[in-house]
Amino acid sequence: MSSATETEHGGWLGRSVKRKEDDRFIVGRGNYIEDIKLPNMLYMAILRSPFAHAKINSIDTSRASALPGVVVVVTGDILAEHKLAWMPTLSGDTQAVLATDKVRMQGQEVACVIAEDPYIAHDALDLIEVDYEPLPAVTTPQAALADGAPLIRDDKEGQADNKIYHWEAGDAEATEKAFVEADKVVRLVTHYPRCHPAPLECCGCVADVNPATGKATIYMTSQAPHAHRTVFALVAGLPEQNIQIISPDIGGGFGNKVPIYPGYVVATAASLLLGRPVKWIEDRTGNLISTGFARDFYMDGELALKSDGTMTGLRVKMLSDQGYAFADAQPSKFKAGLFHIVTGSYDIPAAHVVTEGAYTNKAPGGVAYRCSFRVTEASYFVERLVQTAAYELGVDPAELRRQNFIPPEKFPYTSATGFEYDSGK
Amino acid sequence: MITETKPTTHEITVTVNGAEHSLEVEPRLLLVHLLREKLGLTGTHVGCDTTSCGACTVLVDGIPIKSCTHFAVQVDGREVKTVEGLKGAELHPIQVGFKEEHGLQCGFCTPGMMLVTSVLLEENPDPTEEEIRWALSGNICRCTGYQNIVKAVQWAAKNMRESA
Repeated sequence: MSSATETEHGGWLGRSVKRKEDDRFIVGRGNYIEDIKLPNMLYMAILRSPFAHAKINSIDTSRASALPGVVVVVTGDILAEHKLAWMPTLSGDTQAVLATDKVRMQGQEVACVIAEDPYIAHDALDLIEVDYEPLPAVTTPQAALADGAPLIRDDKEGQADNKIYHWEAGDAEATEKAFVEADKVVRLVTHYPRCHPAPLECCGCVADVNPATGKATIYMTSQAPHAHRTVFALVAGLPEQNIQIISPDIGGGFGNKVPIYPGYVVATAASLLLGRPVKWIEDRTGNLISTGFARDFYMDGELALKSDGTMTGLRVKMLSDQGYAFADAQPSKFKAGLFHIVTGSYDIPAAHVVTEGAYTNKAPGGVAYRCSFRVTEASYFVERLVQTAAYELGVDPAELRRQNFIPPEKFPYTSATGFEYDSGK
Repeated sequence: MITETKPTTHEITVTVNGAEHSLEVEPRLLLVHLLREKLGLTGTHVGCDTTSCGACTVLVDGIPIKSCTHFAVQVDGREVKTVEGLKGAELHPIQVGFKEEHGLQCGFCTPGMMLVTSVLLEENPDPTEEEIRWALSGNICRCTGYQNIVKAVQWAAKNMRESA
């Protein structure tokens, strides 16, 4: 901002600045994914699993393929021939693009119809015959970690149970000492349930791989076009400069449009194989049952206090329901999120935090719905715990907080989980 | 079980934003797809597929309906108004109100919100906040801009009353 502009009208603070995009939105001339039409474009629809966990014995696409207007029915076996049946997640795990061996969640993508018309594509879904053999479904992380639980990711070499990760921060011994010496211990056991960002516009894309140039232009509902370009490069084996991700107007994202979904990948693969643009527009059911959820953290923790209300220790054990793939939006932020925030703004000398993730027969996700990177879970937990402590001690919750805030003279302050607070300002 | 034969079609005549169209349509064609795919009016959006969110709201003979669960053949002989028909020579005061009061973020729900507002203000030029919220209760905004949407409707109501 130039100082000349500031002087002209006294600065930007407090001024109303009109948004540039409103002019097209208020007259119905936005440019969302569904509005994009390319010459010779095909349409894709997805067949989803009705079971949370089942073995696939066979998939018969012959009747669907014979329906006039259907160009091709894509299955996991066809993708496997091109090494595209599985894709990486943003957390370094793998997720099926189209199921081959088993389905591991209700709503999992099993086959895709590519047709000349979207109505015909949906008609053909009803003509695909899948022989499923249902398996016991695991629907909580506690059940997933119990002895004898069905193994969900038997596709992964070396995966003998449903554990995904075990991370710790802080000092277990010092924390134990704080609890032994505490005058008062307050415990909170809670579950921050699974929720869905549910943007008003579902996900979708128009994938256009030009057979003449080999370049892929993918118009998609993407909140992270640069990261998505990298994932597409990894999956398709194309150099990044041959891929352009275009994110036009987006009808809300809220974290839901950060992960890569199978629909994007199949549409792109189909466009590559057929040499024609392929459009996929997700329906609401597909969006809600298969795309990135948020939260789903079980949290059990205790706060140690002196009788005058001074906090002396915090220990927390968290268990995360990750669904059938570990697909948290950005794992490198995990520590900075959960472990940093879990001590709140309080001067707690000792803390120990353990967090575990488990596979279940549910949709993957762990997206940053309106912030998070697990910050929301940590913040929710510590504030609920402090509030509970105030009620149990019979003191004003605001006063208990004020009493335990990191005092100004302690900045820069290193928290008991090892993160630095620079200034408190 | 769906049939694998070509479905029969019906000829319909519909007036959309003042222009008459005669089209041959499948009986199952949804009104929202008639508008978006056959007539190129992409301002009407599909949000939920189930009459729940209101993103696809259009006016049929002046009454708001959810076009994602309305068949195109149901508007034969009727008049449809979409967001593209809101503006005359100049922007409608409701459109100006939404811009002035930051009544939109992603813009996906906005066409439906504005069309319902136009019917509300025709029937009730000076609605209370509660009446505005009730009128818009069939329209979901996931950016949670309801506060500013109410302000936008109030801005439009005031300006329309003053220029009446």
